[in-house]
Amino acid sequence: MALLSALLTRAAKPSRRWGMPGAWAVPLAVLLLGGGPGLAAQTARASEYQLKAVFLFNFAQFVDWPADTFSDAATPVVIGVLGEDPFGSVLDQTVRDERLRGRPFQVRRYQSVDEIKTCHILFIRRSDAGRVEEILARLKTRPILTVSDADAFAERGGMIRFVTDRNRIRLQINPEAVEAAHLTISSKLLRVAEVITPSGR
Amino acid sequence: MSLRDWPIKQKLTAMLLLISGLVLLLTSAAFVTYQVVAFRQTTLKNLATLGRVIAANSTASLAFANQADAREILSALKAEPHVVAAALYDKDGRLFSRYPADLPRDSLSAAPARDGYRFEQGHVIGVEAVAEVGSTRLGTLYLRSDMKAVSRTLWLSAGIAAGVMAISLLAAYLLAAVLQGWISQPILTLAETATAISTRQDYSVRAPKLGEDELGTLTDAFNQMLDRIGDQNRALKASEEELRRYAGELEQRVAERTHELEERNEALRRNAAELAASNTELDAFAYSVSHDLRAPLRSIDGFSQVLLEDYAARLDEAGRDSLQRVRAATQRMGTLIDDLLKLARVTRAEMRTEAVDLSGMAQDIAAELQRTTPARQVEFAIAPGLGARGDPRLLRVALDNLLRNSWKYTAKQAQPRIEFASIQVNGTRAFMVRDNGAGFDMKYADKLFGVFQRLHSASEFEGTGVGLATVRRIITRHGGRTWAEGAVGQGATFYFTL
Repeated sequence: MALLSALLTRAAKPSRRWGMPGAWAVPLAVLLLGGGPGLAAQTARASEYQLKAVFLFNFAQFVDWPADTFSDAATPVVIGVLGEDPFGSVLDQTVRDERLRGRPFQVRRYQSVDEIKTCHILFIRRSDAGRVEEILARLKTRPILTVSDADAFAERGGMIRFVTDRNRIRLQINPEAVEAAHLTISSKLLRVAEVITPSGR
Repeated sequence: MSLRDWPIKQKLTAMLLLISGLVLLLTSAAFVTYQVVAFRQTTLKNLATLGRVIAANSTASLAFANQADAREILSALKAEPHVVAAALYDKDGRLFSRYPADLPRDSLSAAPARDGYRFEQGHVIGVEAVAEVGSTRLGTLYLRSDMKAVSRTLWLSAGIAAGVMAISLLAAYLLAAVLQGWISQPILTLAETATAISTRQDYSVRAPKLGEDELGTLTDAFNQMLDRIGDQNRALKASEEELRRYAGELEQRVAERTHELEERNEALRRNAAELAASNTELDAFAYSVSHDLRAPLRSIDGFSQVLLEDYAARLDEAGRDSLQRVRAATQRMGTLIDDLLKLARVTRAEMRTEAVDLSGMAQDIAAELQRTTPARQVEFAIAPGLGARGDPRLLRVALDNLLRNSWKYTAKQAQPRIEFASIQVNGTRAFMVRDNGAGFDMKYADKLFGVFQRLHSASEFEGTGVGLATVRRIITRHGGRTWAEGAVGQGATFYFTL
């Protein structure tokens, strides 16, 4: 059982290493197949958001919210999109019929922060990058996992940033922000992400 | 050597070894089987545990498409050398990561197999779903472990079983070698005693008793049997001794008797020789007497005839009658002397043996008798084809005498009949001459064949009393036998064998 303990030790100690280039090129390439050259950029963009939608959905499995964010066992997990929606119907398709410990998923779209009432995961578009500080300040420490593909999102107080890097999507996580919002993030998630600590701790 | 001929010691040892060997073999087989089955289950369980841990660790890698992390997680399998291959498939069943990194792609199936842990084609296969608790499936983990651990366990437990078996069998052999003595020793002692008795014939030996079990009972019975054999042997020897004594006595008595008999035989032989000598003398005497008597008899007859012819006139009737009587007497005496000479000649004549036709001979004699006395009507019944080996001249004399005898004694018969035939008497052939003449009284049957023995007077039937004596002598000289049957007035039958 030496292997087991080794694995468990590893799980508790997040790795900082990143995968080799083309780590998700395989699924992407498969998705790209059949697309003409003129459509390539558009398709690549579409599949990028497809992947991001899946990631958003997957975050729910590695994050724990405070118990009071769900009024009962059937309360859905709400994924919100602030501002203009880059996913189209992809996000709705991704979460359709999915369950997390019995809870269904729900996608809500918000035009402003004020509209946000019950929300567990909030995606902030890159186009709103300029408003990031404002948005985050308004959300304060509400137990909402903030995700964005805006530059330096984690350093600016966001929780998870999608980093698009040569057809791959990497994750940056700011554990301090997560902690401040009373959310718990799985060490497994931390292991596959780059940890950002703006305070320099 | 056949199993049946093994010494009882070996049989017992072999039996004990066979039984303990069988028990050990079955126990060992059960042990090895249990070990292998248990180890296979443990192997499956261990692989399942490993699979679940790795699957749980791989969720984030698959959820966020981090191949580097997946590779690192799988590379931890190095610590488990039996795991020869591993792979992660994503949600859509595409190969995501593999272990070891240089594992050829074609050694893995393109799509994940169905979930579960099982033995497949000489390997232990594990397929585990990768998912966070209560959430959707993120992918599939595939593990392949070799069976070396299982086969090592098999060989190890087989080795242990073999070792235990070898030691147990050795112990069983040593124990059996000692314990078989309980049963074999009394039997062997008994067998040795029996052998000693049968080789030395010494029934005083007794088998020692080694216990009160069935073998002890057997030993007792054996010893009792020996007692009885000893007793019987002594009795047998005693009666043998007695028998030998009796036999000795008997032999002595037989010897004495034999000696006596020999003495008597000697005396008889002497007597017979004396008798033969006197017989010869008597014959010679009879011959010379008869021969010598003929000359004076001829003178008497001749001078009586001269007297009758030349001096008949000078004699009266009484004188002539007397002379007639003298002549008749001398003639009868001449016949008597002839017969006696004939008898003597029969005794002295040399024998020439050849085939003789008795039927033909009888026909000749019958014809001659008819010719000499044509007035008589006698019916002859002569069986044809009768023959024998003998002296023809002597046999003719004998047959002539017999037929002539019958001819004579049937003279007063109204319808005389004479028969010559052969019959079987006690398995030998006998010839017989039968007539229906005067016959005789059976109490004189023995006297018939004696010389000068006559049952009738000369006036009744003429005769000299020499004929049948001649017949007996001839037949006796041929090694045959003569006898007669008859009754007065009922005819007579004369038998002879050759």
